[in-house]
Amino acid sequence: MSIVADDLVLRSGGATIIAGVTLALPATGGVAVIGPNGAGKSTLLRLLAGVVAPTGGAVTLDGTALAATPRTERARRIGYLPQQFTPHWDLTVADLVRLGAERTGPVAADRLGNVVADFGLSGFADRRWSTLSGGERARVLLAMVLAVDPDILFADEPGASLDVRHRLELVHMLAERSRRRLCVAAVHDLDLAFRYFDRVVLVAAGRIVADGPAEAILDDRRLDETFGVRFRRLKTEDGTILQAVQRPTVHRQPIAAATATWRSN
Amino acid sequence: MRANTWLTLVVILAVSVVVAVCAGHQWADPLDVARAFFGDDSLRGRLLVEWRLPRVLAAAASGALLGIGGAVYQGVFRNPLAEPYLLGSAGGAALGATVALLVPLGLPQSLVLALLAFAGAWGATVVVMGIARLAGSVDAAGLLLAGVAIAAVLGALRSFLMLALSDDTVNLQVVLSWVLGGIQTPSWPGLGLLATATVAAIAIALPLARGLDALGLGETMATGFGHDVRRLTDVAVLVGSGIVAVAVVFSGLVAFVGLAAPHIARWLAGPLHRRLLPASALVGATIVTVADAIARSALPPAEIPLGLVTAVAGGPFFILLLARQLRA
Repeated sequence: MSIVADDLVLRSGGATIIAGVTLALPATGGVAVIGPNGAGKSTLLRLLAGVVAPTGGAVTLDGTALAATPRTERARRIGYLPQQFTPHWDLTVADLVRLGAERTGPVAADRLGNVVADFGLSGFADRRWSTLSGGERARVLLAMVLAVDPDILFADEPGASLDVRHRLELVHMLAERSRRRLCVAAVHDLDLAFRYFDRVVLVAAGRIVADGPAEAILDDRRLDETFGVRFRRLKTEDGTILQAVQRPTVHRQPIAAATATWRSN
Repeated sequence: MRANTWLTLVVILAVSVVVAVCAGHQWADPLDVARAFFGDDSLRGRLLVEWRLPRVLAAAASGALLGIGGAVYQGVFRNPLAEPYLLGSAGGAALGATVALLVPLGLPQSLVLALLAFAGAWGATVVVMGIARLAGSVDAAGLLLAGVAIAAVLGALRSFLMLALSDDTVNLQVVLSWVLGGIQTPSWPGLGLLATATVAAIAIALPLARGLDALGLGETMATGFGHDVRRLTDVAVLVGSGIVAVAVVFSGLVAFVGLAAPHIARWLAGPLHRRLLPASALVGATIVTVADAIARSALPPAEIPLGLVTAVAGGPFFILLLARQLRA
């Protein structure tokens, strides 16, 4: 068991964003966190990564409370890949990767060079952030976060802003990584979630609705209820594809009610 | 990088210092300066070494302090328009100094001046941070807005004190010239103190470089990379205001150097703070050395207040930056 959340709660400004999440994650594997907008996926990831402190409950990392883990130790063991990233200063690729690598202490130039090469950044190490394309930026960000090869990666909607090829590339890379490390990602694209991750956690209104192997959650009716649609499960030779269909009852109800009110006047 | 960049910066500063020693309402030949150094005992030589040189070195040290202070501020607020003068700390230092100059407290004035300027800078910065946190916005915009508001209040208070407390026994001219900024020719021990403070400022600021770099990636990334963002912000703001307070004590209110020096340094040395902080010190030292030379020599025999020189040059620079940022 590598990371455990125990009755995690986050309240902010009178709203409850995470309302009691208990979750145990293993040392390796790919976990997708899915749910509708505002379900609390991103916040849950931030809490698990220790980037935000919970107002209730605790996260433990190998039996030690994350809050009690030294910050540098946490930064070495956990990588957090934010959904959006814009550096305030126009740094070069090499400098950005250096900042990621140096979070555990000084880094030798040759090791830095290896990281740059490993992520395919050698060709543009001296380019500035502002000159990079979306795909290049995503790779630089990944290199920064993974430069110290953390045990656990929390990725918030990886590749959400990328075109389909780059998004696939990125998710594929995470899936590869999850064979030897733990990768937890908030994923918007349900087909990607079910195809590339072993385990799927379905979240709604700050709570876990369902949690299990991808195949099991895929056939679970709670998926339809949580997203407020009806899914057609289309079997293809590459697996099942979800096609969302509007649920007819969702819209008709209020219109009928409105008509009734109008008639009574 | 770029040993060349450092060498260039140091050479430019050295040249500026030599030119500044030559400059004045009576221009000296560089050869005269060299001769004065190596034991020319004439009055002119002694004036150059004992009067002009300390002032030039004081200008360089003050500029270095303003440069580092500005770089720390811009780093912590992640805003290229952040400047000690926009954040209340210089205004606070000026208010403290005005009290020290106008109210007889029965202590040596130089001591009171230093202490009250310090107290003013720290106090104003703490109030600014307190207001920003109370308003629930600890981000750069909140701090800047609070800083601008406090700076306005402090400026008004200072003007009021100057009007209310001045009478025949208090020389308003002294306060005014100090507020307008100007390097006083220090005694050698005074210069030693200033040099020590400058070295100390670099030594204290440099360990913040890693944290400031991480802050530049955003608070979430900085936290993810193992930094305590709130503590880092507190420490950096206090270090920055301490450095500014020292500069204000020695050179009064010299505007825009803390803004311009880090910018120029960023063009030359890049935005990584381990390089930016020392580069800002060198650039700031050069700017104030040159500005002070202009202040002394442009309208002989009168002297233009240094703060006016930097403001006249710095105002357009600020507008240029603003235009660039608005376009971006």
